[in-house]
Amino acid sequence: MEWMAIVLFLCVCGALMFGFPVAFTLAGTSLIFAGLGYVIGAFDPSYLHALPSRFYGILTNQTLIAVPLFVFMGVVLEKSKVAENLLLAMSSLMGRYQSGMAISVVIVGMLLAASTGIVGATVVTMGLLSLPAMLNRGYSPSFAAGTICATGTLGQIIPPSIALVLLGDVLSSAYQKAQLSMGIFSPDSVSVGDLFVGALIPGLLLVVLYLIYVVFLSKISSMKGVSTHSASQASPREIVQNNAPSLLHALVPPLVLIFLVLGSILSGYATPTEAAGVGAMGALVLAVTQRKLTRQVLKSAMQDTTKITCMVFMILIGASVFSLVFRGFGGEHLVQEFLTNLPGGVIGAMVLVMLLVFVLGFILDFIEITFVVVPIVAPILLAMGLDPVWLGIMLAVNLQTSFLTPPFGFALFYLRGVAPSEVKTSDIYRGVVPFIAIQLVLLLALAIWPELATWLPDIVYNSSR
Amino acid sequence: MALASSNESPRVGHDTPYSVIDKCNAFIFRVVSVATLFMVVVTFSIVILRYGFNSGWIALQESVMYLHSIVFMLGMAYTLRTDGHVRVDVLYRNWSVTRKAWVNLIGTVLFLMPLTLVVIYYSFSYVSESWRLLEASKEAGGLPLVFILKSLIIVMTVQLFLQGVSDVVRNARTIKHGEQG
Repeated sequence: MEWMAIVLFLCVCGALMFGFPVAFTLAGTSLIFAGLGYVIGAFDPSYLHALPSRFYGILTNQTLIAVPLFVFMGVVLEKSKVAENLLLAMSSLMGRYQSGMAISVVIVGMLLAASTGIVGATVVTMGLLSLPAMLNRGYSPSFAAGTICATGTLGQIIPPSIALVLLGDVLSSAYQKAQLSMGIFSPDSVSVGDLFVGALIPGLLLVVLYLIYVVFLSKISSMKGVSTHSASQASPREIVQNNAPSLLHALVPPLVLIFLVLGSILSGYATPTEAAGVGAMGALVLAVTQRKLTRQVLKSAMQDTTKITCMVFMILIGASVFSLVFRGFGGEHLVQEFLTNLPGGVIGAMVLVMLLVFVLGFILDFIEITFVVVPIVAPILLAMGLDPVWLGIMLAVNLQTSFLTPPFGFALFYLRGVAPSEVKTSDIYRGVVPFIAIQLVLLLALAIWPELATWLPDIVYNSSR
Repeated sequence: MALASSNESPRVGHDTPYSVIDKCNAFIFRVVSVATLFMVVVTFSIVILRYGFNSGWIALQESVMYLHSIVFMLGMAYTLRTDGHVRVDVLYRNWSVTRKAWVNLIGTVLFLMPLTLVVIYYSFSYVSESWRLLEASKEAGGLPLVFILKSLIIVMTVQLFLQGVSDVVRNARTIKHGEQG
């Protein structure tokens, strides 16, 4: 009756398309299957006795405490207009160069990714502020839209990122499980900190690749004379320059926070959770010094944080119900049999998993994939000898790519929501294609040189892995 | 990350007047949301105490965990009321108000309510056992309140169930009255 597990998975995917909240659909469909399985004698309901202790495990999970803290930090920064200040200051500085605007968008995207890490908010802010400015500058709509979408998703991969917190938590238990199954009873561990450090080089590399593309394309289009540079000299730039806060004023807050958070993790002074607390406190202090922390801002920051945290943990709860039922039907065993017997061994298995994650990324958010798919496949892949940090970074880059991929990429929806009507949806789709290609180049590079992800953690933590 | 539920425009069918259940869950949500600020302050204090004064208390660390659990467990129901839980809305977003109400009605009855009932059924003895022992933390110096923590599972599911009842009524009304909702 193991095929029931596969049918369950397919039914969950189908049921999700109706649009009822993911967490409840996951759990509800699984329970209906459990009930059916019980009736036909294919499911032992005593599996469900593990539910309360699973939930208690979620309540007492120390790593995931970083989630609300990082969300709090991001929301406070967003509400205190750090992003807007940065964009305005950067574009007034870079504005006089042909490719300046696009470069500043990429750099600001990177800084926002490292400080707030909220993809939706970043894309929306940049879409509102930079997109009209870029269009005025004579950038083609597709190029402008693609640049904004792609840099908006950097928050996924550039630490501190909530995606990496969730992945790190799932991978650390997967790694324990994998080593136990291999008969290693004093297992190594992998932590969120390892993933943060591992993501640094790939993240920065991605930014560099984006920059190269942006500069290259700006040069090409200026040669073709596509750019209407002169026509744009009038308004936007002057408005920007008059209202722009000084660059120093705008750059200091995010840089201080990035330094505080990443520095305390890299130097080993703080766990990611503690660093998140420090960062959130830092964001509050910055908001106070900039006179942006009104009662209303604080209240909505607290409520937004609560809402986002609830959303994340409800998915975790729903996914834990799903994984219990999936295991009860023997699904884990089935997946293991399948993955370990693929032609091409570990490479074949990895390629298949990456494809699966990419395809699922069309409809599912990274949170769902991290909680539903990764716990099933990661222990198997790790037991086949893959490095946990490398696997984590590969998954993170892959998921980031699916954020960008038409037609269902989340970043595209966010931009569509705020883009002026002169930017056609097909422009947005066309604009992200080169960036998707860049993502794939990075994935390929990571596959060929795993050291890109594993070298820095080895140095920093001096681990024996 | 795709976490920007807060900046999206209010969605159809979620701006209708609050029922008593909605109001209760909204009140609880507002109260627990303040705990996020406490989490930040306490975590920051822990770091300062450890690295500044080289001291630390297990109780302080556990209190962050308790605050954290309280936030997301008790805020869950109102997050449902305000449509804060992620949907795969590729098709959903383009549907009519009535059709959305049908999805929410059926989803609540078919998925959400059974989930809450199953969780209550399987957790009840787990939680009541903890109360009988007045279970404390296993760590020396930890908080003696594990039974409270475990009770959150029951409180959350009861809140969710009641919110489900309220949602069923609201969606049924929307369906009955058509577009006016």
